[in-house]
Amino acid sequence: MAIESKWYALTGAALAVAVLLPLGMHGQYGLSILCMLFLYITLSQSWNILGGYAGQVNVGQAAFFGVGALTTRLLWLHGTPFPLAIPAGGIASVVLAVVVGFPALRLRGHYFAIGTLAVAWIAHITVGNLFPGISFLTGRHVATYSLVLRYYVFLVIMVAALTTIYLTVNSRIGLGVEATRDDEDAAQTVGVNIVKYKIIAFAISSFFVGLAGGGFAFFNASYYWYLPFGLMWCFEPILIVFIGGVGTFVGPIVGSLCYVALKEIFAFTLGEINILIFGVVFILTILFFPRGIVGLPAALHHAWPRRLHGEVGERANVR
Amino acid sequence: MEFAQFLTYGIINGAIYALVAIGLALIMGIMGIFNLAQGSLAMLAAYASFFLFQRWGLDPFLSLALTMPAGFLCGLLLHKGLFEWMSGYAPGQKLRNSMLVAFGLVLVIENIATVLWTANERCVTTAYSGAVVSVEGLRVPYTGLAAVGLSMVVIFGLHFFLKRTLFGKSLWAISQDHQTANLMGINVRRTTLISFGLGVALSAAAGAVISLYTVSPAVGLDWTNKALILVVLAGVGSIKGIFYSGLLLGIVEVLSVYFVGVHYTGVAGLVIFILVLMFRPQGLFGKRAGA
Amino acid sequence: MLELSQLDIYHGDLQALWNVSLTVRDREITTLIGSNGAGKSTALMAIAGLLKPAKGTISFNGVRLDKLPAHKIVDIGISMVPEGRRVFPEMTVTGNLEIGAFVGQARRERQKTMEWVYEVFPKLRDRARQQASTLSGGEQQMLAIGRALMSRPRLLLIDELSLGLAPVVVEKISEVLREINKANGIGIFLVEQNVQMALELADTGYIIENGRIVGHGDAGTLLESKEVKEAYLGIA
Repeated sequence: MAIESKWYALTGAALAVAVLLPLGMHGQYGLSILCMLFLYITLSQSWNILGGYAGQVNVGQAAFFGVGALTTRLLWLHGTPFPLAIPAGGIASVVLAVVVGFPALRLRGHYFAIGTLAVAWIAHITVGNLFPGISFLTGRHVATYSLVLRYYVFLVIMVAALTTIYLTVNSRIGLGVEATRDDEDAAQTVGVNIVKYKIIAFAISSFFVGLAGGGFAFFNASYYWYLPFGLMWCFEPILIVFIGGVGTFVGPIVGSLCYVALKEIFAFTLGEINILIFGVVFILTILFFPRGIVGLPAALHHAWPRRLHGEVGERANVR
Repeated sequence: MEFAQFLTYGIINGAIYALVAIGLALIMGIMGIFNLAQGSLAMLAAYASFFLFQRWGLDPFLSLALTMPAGFLCGLLLHKGLFEWMSGYAPGQKLRNSMLVAFGLVLVIENIATVLWTANERCVTTAYSGAVVSVEGLRVPYTGLAAVGLSMVVIFGLHFFLKRTLFGKSLWAISQDHQTANLMGINVRRTTLISFGLGVALSAAAGAVISLYTVSPAVGLDWTNKALILVVLAGVGSIKGIFYSGLLLGIVEVLSVYFVGVHYTGVAGLVIFILVLMFRPQGLFGKRAGA
Repeated sequence: MLELSQLDIYHGDLQALWNVSLTVRDREITTLIGSNGAGKSTALMAIAGLLKPAKGTISFNGVRLDKLPAHKIVDIGISMVPEGRRVFPEMTVTGNLEIGAFVGQARRERQKTMEWVYEVFPKLRDRARQQASTLSGGEQQMLAIGRALMSRPRLLLIDELSLGLAPVVVEKISEVLREINKANGIGIFLVEQNVQMALELADTGYIIENGRIVGHGDAGTLLESKEVKEAYLGIA
């Protein structure tokens, strides 16, 4: 699927806007929201390449996000400059993938999902036990804190993730990955090394999730150590991909936009019960948008009465 | 003897974990619905037990006569509303969708609980709550004894029910091939509905026991976590295995406390879990391999 | 008597059957033949209640089948052997047979019926305690048929009997089917790609092509007809 020139132009324009934006923005709120948006786009697209394209439903993304965050935070607070600390987070996440994820890939279907979820959960508990309490920024870091810098960090991470994933998906690797998703046995008969492709998808996914975790650690002034391991980080990307459209490239981007907007609106307007409403919306989305927003046109098409088809007349008699 | 005392507590904990897990094993193992809200439902039942005790002095084990049927009805409603439409889905899709819906449910339930009952922890203290029975120097709490008893009755009862009754067999058939089960004359829709109700009723039993220990809106996910570990440890399709896996987990946890220290109980679960997943993914007692 | 009348059936958006009508008479063996994708299995699934027609009716001795949910079809006296056997893999042979006698009257008489099935398929008796997934293709087919017989049907629907089976095995099972049809008066509606086997076994035949019935008649006559010979038997 070659990129048409109009999309090229659009992407370029969007990128230009994104790069120039901070110059025109005043105040913290806007930039923070955009940082979160970039974060979610990265997370959900990373989930998408493993879950949507490769069909391996990873419910344990929080473990990878958390490991990235933990590594980066520890390194950075102890003096490592952030351009090294953040990629280190990405690498740590890949290490986790090698240790836990790759054996888990041998599991088919449900077991992979269950396995990854439990890993995330237990990681959450373990970190909560080992690192209770809050991680604070030291004086020097507080003094030199620049939101604009963090904005660009997230932007770079997101662009790197999107580009890598886009290229992968549209390459031979992408074909292999999708074939694996659709029918493992059939894929093998045409020479697709399904293990290799699952690993590639997982590696890419975990690297960028870890990187995002590093960004998170770099971004937040103070937070509970176990926060990036929280379960919401497992489910939010999945929900986002759902909203947007599983297995599509644009889906996670669209989904992230809707999600971040929705969350902010709810947080502002609903106060105490915002999580409840959020849960309800969550449920309703799954119930009524199983194919996401991107799948909406097709879904509507299906809803039209059959009569329209039958009326077109008999097909030409093949005899 | 210290060690034996630890073991005793481990067994009791394990039996409680198993009780929470059994409903999930039924719902997830047999019906392929990933009910993340299992623990949260047990939490609701625990609150119910607590309030029944507070208002009318009903012992949680007695109020089961109320909470279990109520749980059953809730299960029917939940299935009808949230999960029934997924019945025809492929297993992978069903698992994913049900997991997400259940997660939404968890958020809703926990938020309602927090709003209605505050985040404070509750606990039922009955007349016999502190009492222990002494067996050869071991102090076995009455509540623990009752918990183990209930757990065994429920789990082995369910096993018997699934293996020996026609309903149980039809459920098993459905879990293997739900289209063909239809052809046998099994009313798949109704059977699945009833089973889901049963699964939730079972979590009500767990709730009764939980109310004797600690209830707060946040405990739901913790219990689901334990339940999930057991379901994987035991393997799909194994009901008795849940009980044994529970004991295993409980014992391993207290062992890790005994030898290493209290902060690492969660890690014990992690280690066993990963080992089983890597070397015996069909579970310790399961019948099916992989998916 | 099973009657399909002017059926239109869709698979999603795709129309699979166009104005299909056919009759399966009591105590007879009727076959529906056609190449792959012609719509045969669709017809069978509609009878079994797994698909609902967009237009037309299906009735069995006056009872409208297309209005019934799938699990009620067995009650009416129709039992189906699905394509690919679909035995319950984790259950034993005995378990599979037992679950075949799930409903009402059949459940009460299941011991007796099981004895009869073992007489019809002695191989199954040898394997009674074996897990169904460990049986060979032919044995699984026998089990699937035996399971369908457990509900004491008046009409047996069979989807692609010969698929994936060695000719010798198909031959043997054919004979058994002829036997139970003659001896017990159980009607059989067989959907098949193997035209030779199907027309030799059946009394009446229907030919389906691209979702439409293009011919029917006495099976023996069809077997000899020029069209069938050319189109399906490869005889010029």
